[in-house]
Amino acid sequence: MKFGDWYNKNYKKTLILPAVLIVLSVIYIAIFYSQTGSFFYMDVSLTGGTSFSIQTNYSQSDVEKELSKNFDDFTVKAVSDGSGNQIQLIITAPESESDAIQGGIEEILGFKLSDENSSIEFTSSGLSKTFLDQLLIAIILAFFWMGCVVFIIFGKGGKIKFWLIVANLLFAVFLGNFFMQINPIISWIIFGIFSVSLIFVYLKKSVPSFAVILSAFSNILMTLAVVDLMGLRLSGAGIVSFLMLIGYSVDTDTMLITKLSENNKAINHTIFESFKTGLTMTCTSIIAVVLALFVVYPYGTVLNQIFIVLSIGLTFDLFNTWVTNTAILKWYFSKKREDKK
Amino acid sequence: MKFTPKIWLFVILTFLSFLSLFVTVSPFGITFLQKGVLVSSVDKDSIVYEDGLRPDMVIVSINGNTVSNLDNYQELILPYTHLGENETIRTEIGVRGLDTPIIGLYGSELFDDVNVEKMPTSKLSTGLDLQGGARAFVRVKGNVTASDIDDVISVLDNRLNTYGLTDMSIYKIASEGDEILIGIEIAGSSPDELKSLISEQGHFEAKIGNETVFIGGDKDVTYVARSGEGVGVRECDSVSDGAFCNFAFTISLSPTAADKFANATKDLEIIGDYLSENITFYIDNVETSALRISSDLRGSAQTTISISGSGAGVDQQSAFVSAETEMKKLQTILITGSLPFDLEVVKIDRISPNLGENFTKRILLAGLIAFIGVMMFVTLRYKKVKLSLFLIFGSFAEILMTLGIACLINWNLDLSSIAGIIAAIGTGIDSEIIILDESVSSNSNKNESIKQRIKRALFMITTAFSTTFVALLPLTGLLGFLGIGAASAGMLKGFAVTTIIGICIGVFISRPAFVDITKQLKGDDK
Repeated sequence: MKFGDWYNKNYKKTLILPAVLIVLSVIYIAIFYSQTGSFFYMDVSLTGGTSFSIQTNYSQSDVEKELSKNFDDFTVKAVSDGSGNQIQLIITAPESESDAIQGGIEEILGFKLSDENSSIEFTSSGLSKTFLDQLLIAIILAFFWMGCVVFIIFGKGGKIKFWLIVANLLFAVFLGNFFMQINPIISWIIFGIFSVSLIFVYLKKSVPSFAVILSAFSNILMTLAVVDLMGLRLSGAGIVSFLMLIGYSVDTDTMLITKLSENNKAINHTIFESFKTGLTMTCTSIIAVVLALFVVYPYGTVLNQIFIVLSIGLTFDLFNTWVTNTAILKWYFSKKREDKK
Repeated sequence: MKFTPKIWLFVILTFLSFLSLFVTVSPFGITFLQKGVLVSSVDKDSIVYEDGLRPDMVIVSINGNTVSNLDNYQELILPYTHLGENETIRTEIGVRGLDTPIIGLYGSELFDDVNVEKMPTSKLSTGLDLQGGARAFVRVKGNVTASDIDDVISVLDNRLNTYGLTDMSIYKIASEGDEILIGIEIAGSSPDELKSLISEQGHFEAKIGNETVFIGGDKDVTYVARSGEGVGVRECDSVSDGAFCNFAFTISLSPTAADKFANATKDLEIIGDYLSENITFYIDNVETSALRISSDLRGSAQTTISISGSGAGVDQQSAFVSAETEMKKLQTILITGSLPFDLEVVKIDRISPNLGENFTKRILLAGLIAFIGVMMFVTLRYKKVKLSLFLIFGSFAEILMTLGIACLINWNLDLSSIAGIIAAIGTGIDSEIIILDESVSSNSNKNESIKQRIKRALFMITTAFSTTFVALLPLTGLLGFLGIGAASAGMLKGFAVTTIIGICIGVFISRPAFVDITKQLKGDDK
């Protein structure tokens, strides 16, 4: 088993690759954040603004060209049915310019916008602020709670499990009621104490808990970096699809951990066996998602975003599970077995 | 194949979900995939309204021709649009559940007076993004604090709920300049409808003469009986042009309000069995009904008062319904009180349902193609057609059960819920692959018994389930009491709740059945 030998010797070095990718993603997202002031491009449903859906045959490029004479900040999107016939145009504009843009559109199309020929949606930017705060808190909590559950299932020691649950609940109370609502510096200090100590306990007492968090975190992080690179404007549904990744990433991870935590088989053999199962699992999902993307793509709806994000994320999941986590877990379980001997 | 109890449970629940989604049980019989068109609105001043056509009725025939769908309806109604000003056609409109059709002479206005829509193919209600509807942003007038706004929201929420609107959401948003607005979304309603619902302040006042005795809300009204003795629609009577029904219910007044009643009545004259003044009820300063006061109540501090009113309709059934609605409305206003503040509608939008129908078709097609792809892949991988058929059938059943539950709990299916279903199905297929690899696939350890291997597979699945479950919990809004996810609006909630429903069905119902099936298939191989 040539590859097996190579892997036994070099598996710790393979961790350099994910480490580099994580660092690059973090740097890219940090630069992105410093330039745009947010973690990703938001579409009008998140930034706040007005979106006009108009039933017209007027072509997208014509409207774009005409509007750009007077306005800068807007998007025009055409929606077609399955056979390529245009059903409607969706024009989005920031709230401050919505009235002016509406006037502009009416001028170009030559008719007044009414309930009969169009629909106008309005979101305020305030909605997205509380929404994003809540989302961030919910995701942070999701990560730590996932780790906690994995610890309870695979870790040892009744007392520490009890205190871990208490700490995680306190963390939730803090995040929900005090984080960023009290003095920001104190907020961040308390947040730091909680997260560092929880991660420390996970790392020290049960590496699998840490591995599950790391895998879900890096899936989301790397996918976000690619989405930013692509310049995709995310809507609420796009954000939801990042959350869908959590579920998919957990599945393969727990399978690998369960198999490795049994003592009776050679580690490499178990990894290979799990890899076959895991590959089937992730490939099934990728096939389903990519096929679905092809079918819904012409519609230009938010479903596109969901499926694009999922296909990127699932590909990263393959990498993060079978390169990153496998090496970390091999390291951990080899050491554990040695200690037992 | 032997049907074990777990397989039976799975099959029966799938069947029940199917029933809950597609079959309607009504006093008029059991119907499956109803034919006809649904009346969405009727102009209240029209002749056809007078003749008895009401919203929510189902038109099944026009002049003896069966109406099976919307196109068909439009074809049959077409001749009316060509009619001249005073021309009419004698028309029989067949309505489901009515023994005799609605008969009348109608002209071209019939087309405008009656709005119809497609019969829903399932009882599942869809959200704003799939069905369309209306959304309003309202400002609370005056100098208000955040807690005042919470009060307004809870009164609004309470009120809209009691009116019977389940597919709505109310949330707080901060507009530019940190002013807090309230957003109200109702799927399937028009802007006008929404406006009429929220612009009514619901100020209830009971007066004797010019003196206010009590107003709606829990300060004066301590209890409103909504069931029990003397509560409900009581007698119905037919009159020449229709029917009317009376309703009554009792309320309890606070001691202060009771004293006011005593004060207001103590100087009144007695005429026959009654007092000289009536007690009159006003809603938003419009008189709604007046009751005579029995003479023996003069000057007494009454703490229990019976409120009554009536509803009218073309026949007894519709009069009954209208009386019931009136009663519910009155009770709600008495319980919730008026809105503490006046509301101003900042913006009201119609959300176009344009994408709705085609969009749903696309999703179904995407799902179908994805399933075929997965099935082919699984067949190639395991070389067992039977297995991949079970796998796909299991996923279909899971979708059906998730939708069935959504239907039972009046959940509104929107885009993010669809994403939730996709996520649940994806992890479900993942779990089934684990079961297959552990039990059927040749690469598993031959020394272990199948029982051990299945046990391990189930352990992995439960671990994955618990982990996903806690990860989604903060997004459901169920931790609102901890301040987590409560304000995250409907979107995340829709996703998280549907995913959780889906993975619960997976792990508790369909996975155990799948295991039993796999065991039997494995047995066949030996």
